[in-house]
Parts: sequence; C-alpha cells; structure tokens
Amino acid sequence: MYNASFGNEELQNRNLKVLVLLALIVFFFSIIVFRLFYLQYLHYDENLERSENNRLRRVVLTAERGFIYDREGRILVRNRPSYQIALQALSLPRNKSEKDSIFRRLLDIRDINGVQLFDSASLDTAFQRTVWIKNRPIRILEDATPEEVALIEEHSSDLPGVITLIESRREYPYGTLAAHFLGYTGEISEEQLKLEDFKDYSLGDRIGQKGLELQYDREFRGVNGVKIIEVNASGREVGVVEGMGSQEPIPGMHLVTTIDLDLQKIAEEAFPDSVRGAVVAIDPRTGEILAMVSSPRLDPNIFSLKRRERNKGWAEVALDSTRPLTNRAIAGAYPPASVFKLVTAGAGLEHGLIGRNTHFQKACTGGFQFGNRYQKCWSSHGNLNLIHALRLSCDVYFYQAGLLIDMPRINEFGERFGLGSDLLGIDIPGERSGWLPDSASFNKRNKRNGWRWARGLILNLAIGQGQLVTPLQQAVFIGSIATNEGVYRPHFMKEIRSIDGSLVRRQEPVKIREGKMKPETHQVLLDAMDSVVNHIGGTGKRGAVKNIRVGGKTGSGEWKKGEKTHAWFASVAPLDDPKIAVAVIMEAAGGGGAMAAPVAQKIMEEFFYGDSLKREEQ
Amino acid sequence: MNTARRFLDKTMKVDWFFIILVLALMCCGVTLVYSATYNPEEVFYQSYWFRQIIYFIVGFFIAAALSFIRIDYLKRLAMPLYFLSLLGLIVVLFGGGDVIKGAGRWIDLGLFKIQPSEFAKLAYLLAFSYWLSRHPVSFFRLKSFFVPAVLFIIPFFLVLQQPDLSTALVFTAITLVGFYWAGLTLVDMFLLLSPLFSVLLSHSQFVFSQIFWGGLICLVALALFYRKLPKALTSFFFLINIFAGYASSMAWNMLKPHQQKRVETFLDPMNDPLGDGYQVLQSMTAIGSGGLTGKGFGEGSQTNLSFLPEEHTDFIFSVLGEQFGFLGALFVLTLFFLFLWRGLSICKIYEDPFVNLVTVCACSIFLFHILVNIAMTIGLMPVTGLPLPFLSYGGSFALTCTVLVGFLINMRYQGGRY
Repeated sequence: MYNASFGNEELQNRNLKVLVLLALIVFFFSIIVFRLFYLQYLHYDENLERSENNRLRRVVLTAERGFIYDREGRILVRNRPSYQIALQALSLPRNKSEKDSIFRRLLDIRDINGVQLFDSASLDTAFQRTVWIKNRPIRILEDATPEEVALIEEHSSDLPGVITLIESRREYPYGTLAAHFLGYTGEISEEQLKLEDFKDYSLGDRIGQKGLELQYDREFRGVNGVKIIEVNASGREVGVVEGMGSQEPIPGMHLVTTIDLDLQKIAEEAFPDSVRGAVVAIDPRTGEILAMVSSPRLDPNIFSLKRRERNKGWAEVALDSTRPLTNRAIAGAYPPASVFKLVTAGAGLEHGLIGRNTHFQKACTGGFQFGNRYQKCWSSHGNLNLIHALRLSCDVYFYQAGLLIDMPRINEFGERFGLGSDLLGIDIPGERSGWLPDSASFNKRNKRNGWRWARGLILNLAIGQGQLVTPLQQAVFIGSIATNEGVYRPHFMKEIRSIDGSLVRRQEPVKIREGKMKPETHQVLLDAMDSVVNHIGGTGKRGAVKNIRVGGKTGSGEWKKGEKTHAWFASVAPLDDPKIAVAVIMEAAGGGGAMAAPVAQKIMEEFFYGDSLKREEQ
Repeated sequence: MNTARRFLDKTMKVDWFFIILVLALMCCGVTLVYSATYNPEEVFYQSYWFRQIIYFIVGFFIAAALSFIRIDYLKRLAMPLYFLSLLGLIVVLFGGGDVIKGAGRWIDLGLFKIQPSEFAKLAYLLAFSYWLSRHPVSFFRLKSFFVPAVLFIIPFFLVLQQPDLSTALVFTAITLVGFYWAGLTLVDMFLLLSPLFSVLLSHSQFVFSQIFWGGLICLVALALFYRKLPKALTSFFFLINIFAGYASSMAWNMLKPHQQKRVETFLDPMNDPLGDGYQVLQSMTAIGSGGLTGKGFGEGSQTNLSFLPEEHTDFIFSVLGEQFGFLGALFVLTLFFLFLWRGLSICKIYEDPFVNLVTVCACSIFLFHILVNIAMTIGLMPVTGLPLPFLSYGGSFALTCTVLVGFLINMRYQGGRY
C-alpha cells in the first residue's frame, strides 16, 4: 500500500505526475494550435476562396455497365454514350434575378427549326429542385443530340451552372428481340431506395428494373468511382484538388447467357406478332434456356430515351390491355389442356393402373355420359389403346383413365416433373407458379364462391382443363419426361465474365426434382409422343422435323365459351437423346396442332439444321 | 448558526471556478449547435439546440446529485457496476441491441435507449480506479498487472466486437493513464508504448525511419539498463521491439492490397475520396476559411458546412473554426485546458489514491475525446466518430460528460474525508 510515512515524498511524486500530465496536454494542444494557425492564417486565402465560391465538387464517375451476350458471345445488350444537359445547383448564381435571367436565356434557346429546347414548366421544376438538391446535377435535357449540346456550349459563358454530362445508357441493338427477359434499366425509384436490398445504391443511379437487368444488376453495375475537383465560377472543372486521391470506376461484369441468338431470332419470327402468347425453348439436360419469346412485344429502348418520349412510350405499354409488359413465358398461367394427358397417362402407367394396350369399356362416340352430365370429345375415335388415345388426343379415353387413377396420383406425377405450385426458380424475377388442384386445394381456393369439389371435376382435370401451368413449366415438363434424368433449374446465366473476358462464375446445372419414372412408363410415353408427331394422323404432325425423332403433344385449351381455344404445343427432340424441349402457347389462336406446332417445328429445324440452312442460303 | 457555518465551509470546498468553466463550455456547445442546425421553420422545442439544453440541465442535476454520494459508497459500488456494465455489453453484442448505423450499440428499454458502451466507460473508470487504489502496479511484480489487465481486456474486446474501435481506444487511454498514476514511471510508460513506436517507425514512408528506429532500439536498451527490470521482462521488451520492427513490415506485405488500402485509408482519410476524405477536406476548408476572427456567428454554415453530414455532432469544431476563427478556437481550447488543469489539481490536494485515480482517469477520458475529435476535424487523425465533450450534440455523451464532471466535483468536495 501507499506508505503514509513517506508522505512528503508521496506528495512530491503526485505533484510531479500531475505536472507530467499537464505537460502532455500542453504538448498536444500546441500541435492543434499550430495546425489551426497553419490552416487559418497561412492558408487562409486559398481556403476562403474555396469556401466562398463552393469550388469543391465531388464528381461521381459512373462505372460502365456490363454487357449481355448470347451463348456464342454475340452481343445482346450494350451501352451507348448519351449527353445530358444539367443544372449544377452550386454553380448557379445565388441571387434571384440572375437566376431568372438564366432561366429566360434557356427558354430562348431554339434549334434550327425554331423549336424551344426546354419547356418552361419542367425547367421551372428543375430550378426549384436546385434549392434542395445541392450535391448532384439535375438533368434538364436528357439524351441531347450533338446539335443541342453545341447550342448549349455556344452560350456557356452566359449560362453559369448549366453543364453537359456524358453518360452511358443501355442500348438493345435487336429492339424487341428478347426484351421480356433482358429487361431494361431506369433510374432507381425512391421506393426502391428504402428497401434493404438497395441499401448501397444512391439516388440517381440507373439500375436494372426487370428481367436479367434486374436479376444481375449487382454484377452489371460495377463500382462507381469518384474524383474531387475544383471548378471555376461557371461550374466548369479547372483541376483536381491537390492531395486528394481519386477513385477510378471499376466497370461491371458481363453476362453470358444460355440464349442462342439464331434460335431466338427464329422463334421471334415464327411467332406471329398479332397473337398473344409465349415460346420457351430449353435444354432439358441442364435447364439452360435457349430461347424465350413473349408476345405482344416490347421495345426496351423506350426506357433509355429522354423523359418526354419515355413517358409517352411507357404510357402506351402500361395502359395496353394486352399487357405487353408481362413476360408470359414465366408469368402467364394457362390451362395445360391436352398436353396434360401425358401426366394422366404417366401416373396411370407408374401405378400399374393402365398399360400400353389398355382399352376402356366405353368407346369414344363423340362424348361420355357421367351421371347426368354428358362430356364431349372433339371427335369420335372409337375404342382406342393408350398410344392411340394420346396420338389422337381422345378425351373420352382420358375421362375414364382419370376416374380410375384419381387426382392425387396424377398431380404427384406432374409435380415430379416440374408442374404445380412450386416455382422452378428461374433466374429472372416475376415467375408465377402453376396450380394442380385436388379436392382439398380446390375447396380451399373456391371457399369464397362456394364451389365444392365433385367427382365430375376429374373429367375436366384429366384432360388438362382446370389446372394452371406456365409455358416455362410446360417446356420443363416435356423435356424432363423425355430425359427421365431429373428436372433442372431453368436458367439464363451461363457465365459471368469480367471486363477482360476472364471467367468469374459459371452456372452448373442444378437438379431441383428427382424427376424419375419407371423405364417401362418412360418407354410408353416416348412412344406416345413419337406417334403424336411422326405417325400418320397424329395431332402434332406439323411439328415434325426431317430425320429427327421429335416427340410432342398438342393441346387446345378452352378458356371462354365462343372463343377460339388456346393453342398449345410442347415438343422435345431427339427422343433417344433429348437436346431441346420447346413449349408454344398461342392465346385464342385455335387448335394446337394447326397453330402452335409449326412454330415449334421452325425452332427445332433451326436448332438441328440451322448452320446448314444458312450455308444453303449463301 | 452552526449549520450556516458548516454550509459555508462546504460551499467553499466546491470548486466554483471549475463549475463556471463547465457552464462556459456548455454555453459554447449550445451556441454552436444552434448555429449549425438553425432552421427557421422548426418549432424551438424540436430543435437540436433546445434538446441539447435539456440534456445539459438533466446532466447538471445528475452531476449535482453525484457530488453528494459518499466516496466509500462509490468504492463499494464500483465492482457491481462494472459487472452490470459487462452484462449490458454482452446483451448488445448478442442480439439484444438495436442496430444503428451498422453497429449494434444500443439497448432499447422502451422509454429510452441506453448505450452500454458509454455506461461501461464510467463503470470501468470506477472499478479500475478502485482496484489500482488498493493494488498499485509495478514491473517488479508482474502479478500486480493480472487483475487490472483482465478488468481492461473484457470490456475492451466486447466494445471492439460491436464494432466500435474509437470507444475501445478510450478504454486504452484510461488504462494507460491509470497505470502511470498507480505506480509506473515515465520510463516504464515509454517501454510499454515502445512496441507501438517501433511499428510506426519501421512502417513509415519517411526516408530515415530505419535510422530512427535504430535510435529507438538504443533508447529502449538504455531505458532497460536504467530500470534494471527482471531479466525475463528486459529481454521481453527488447525482443518485442525488434520483432515489432520486422514483423510489422512482413505482416504488412502479407496483407492483400485491398486490406492495405483499408488501413491506409483509415490512417489518411484523404486517400478515401468516396467516404471520409471529402468530409475532412470540407472541414479543413471550413476551418481555414474562418481566418483569425471567423466569419461571425451564423455566417458560413449554410454555404459550406451543409456538406458535412455530421456538422452538429462530430464536426462541431469545424463550425467553431469557421464562425469564430482562430481566436474562437483558441478560446475554447483555453477553456478545455483550464478545465483539465482544475480537474487534475484535485490530485495535489488529497492523498486518497482512489480519489486521485478517478480524477486522472476521468481527465484522460476528456483529454482523449478532445484530442482525437479536434485532430480529426483539422485533418491530423483518422475519422473516428468520437464526439467533442460539451460541444458536440448528443444526449448519451452529454450525460457521460456530466457524470464525469459529477465525479470530479465529488472528489474535490469529499476527497479529504477519510
């Protein structure tokens, strides 16, 4: 302990230590005082000048957005330079009348045709915004032409605070091609900024707003750089501030998609513009999407135009009753129609309830009596076996098969191969799930309107009326029953490559369902799909491709009394070693075999003979 | 009569000059917060400056109440409070805390929020002082360091995990000053800090730094020879310096470029134009443009300091420098100096080591905050986010400061009773 007898010494010791601490304080305080003297006296003039005119600017150097390529490395999406005329709040004169005179001078600027460059209402809004947005430029003319830029630069000495910026904007060289899954970019909205996902984004950033642009935005955007500059009185850069580092932007990464541009082009051409619907082509062995079309088409270029034109284009597509913004291939839910007969048949075979040569008691005489209801067939087929029933798509056969097998077994078989209410997890936002009702889920869904499950509903469900599937699900389904080797997550991303072309990430196939059935079941379904396309009288014969064993199934979905049916065709080829599966839906177009099968046929033809076709053309 | 006389005696023992200094600093603080955040459209009771006044009034009463607590109660409470504060730190660390600014530092008690790291500073101050007052430390009895080191390390790491480096460094400042007071000599302190100097010197870009480092090693050797410490400790200090000199550059080279950049950015904010660098540049411009006498009250803040997002908290000194210039800054620095001097002078009066330790440690908290904050605004130190006592806006820290003032008044008032 502290010894009291050394009181005096102890006191001295304490005084000494207090002195040392005070000396330490004096030492550090003098450093501060010297530094203040240095800043406030020796460098007073330059600091004053900087502060008075607000000469320091932080300029964000936007990183170049990554491109999108097809699987062969052909560009699908790139960037173009775009000039913006903007107001720099800090360089505008502070005094009201000078500000007004700049406002008037801007309004006076006219192009060669004598049209005003700016309209007074929106210019007025921009000037009002300068009051509270100090630290970034406010655009007054987006996507200006070189002539417009020249006009502004001519007057630049009279227009302090009006600056020209060069930005890079998205360009979609093929226009409407693939627009639905490529997506588009736009300025980040204030709602988005509030979300956790966009925490590291800032106001004014352009981000992907749909499709792949949104999904892979983090890869595309890169890292913005920044530099601190000193500007002159009219807001133009005079130099970089001494001693301040700058940060170069890091360009974003490129996305190599699984899309085959040739196939996509053919699919777009083959699908008539006037019809609504969708096409999906995938590689069932990996889940790679080879082509995807949704109609009506959409031109993403309208979203990178100047505001006035963008608003016009936007209004057109947003208010269109045919909903061109929806990607029907993943978000359109349709009754699967007769394509679903493959599920009914598969379930029956798998449980040993029917076989290849099963005939039912009642032959098809054009309809089927169930209780007091009479359900029609689209023709009279007579008494058929399973293969024939699928080939001719006989409803009466499947009414009886459905009653025998019952929904739980049928639905289980469908879900095994990708149908149903679980999402497939495609790598673009907006995927919708399907629906395979059974008694429980039917009652639940229809609680409100009081409909109850009845056994008679099985008749409709067995032939695919009443369920919902998306075109994507349909393609995944037909592909995976043909491979019998599992269901793979459908995806667009093949590789992510850095700006110098080196590989950053590669998408490996991901198995999402076991997707297995007995070999015998598999064989019967293959034979049936084969006979639909390749046998004389098969409903899908217009889907056939020379020398390729294409298998498929047609469907004509009823959706409204008196309207033409939705035309479905789902096909896969070659049956012995499936490489491509295609699903085509055309809304209200008629019969699947007549309308949809030719579209699939063209895609298949391009897939197998594309190169030789081109060579012939040359 | 007797009562009146005793009252007079007691009143004489209160350091009125000290209290006036504190009030003067508080007035400066409210003035600066007012001019930094003044908004004519705001109702006055919602404004920052008014809230700051409320915090100070509440704090003032707390300080007054604290000065009447008997010192032996404080001693008895020291350890329980310390463990309570550890509990608080653990709660924020493991999910109990609300996340503010990316670091979970608060506990929400419904009515109000508390910041356990602020509370821990105070509790650690008491517990550490209490222990050292009974067990002085010495390099000749290494065991004497065991308990204080444990007392220090637990809250240090808990705070570091939050992560709150600057507050963790406040704990370090308390500890170093406490050790100095409780037995170490200046030479001992030099030895204790020498590895840090070694790292800095061997690492600096300065041309002759290697020679300086050699000189440092010689000084260490000299100090060791002079102190005649036990052999083990002597070789430890010597080797750790050599090691720090070499290993730090090796460790540096092993870091990945982006990690190196992060450290460099921390040490030199100007390297980071995206983040802190711009703020520091603006702050230096603001202060520099104040000149000798400043632009005047309420002037300049709109034009320049609107760039500083935290002008009323961390960068309040820039407001001072811009509006009141070199003289204004000098005035406030003088107030701070007098404040610390009056605080430390308590140690000259009383023998009780607890009183002295609480005093020096409390002063070291103030000093550390003042130095780190001001140095940050004038571009001499990294941007850390330590507020400036009495001047920066903020309820939690205002309370901490007034509690510390309460301790200091208490020490002077009651220090000689035992």
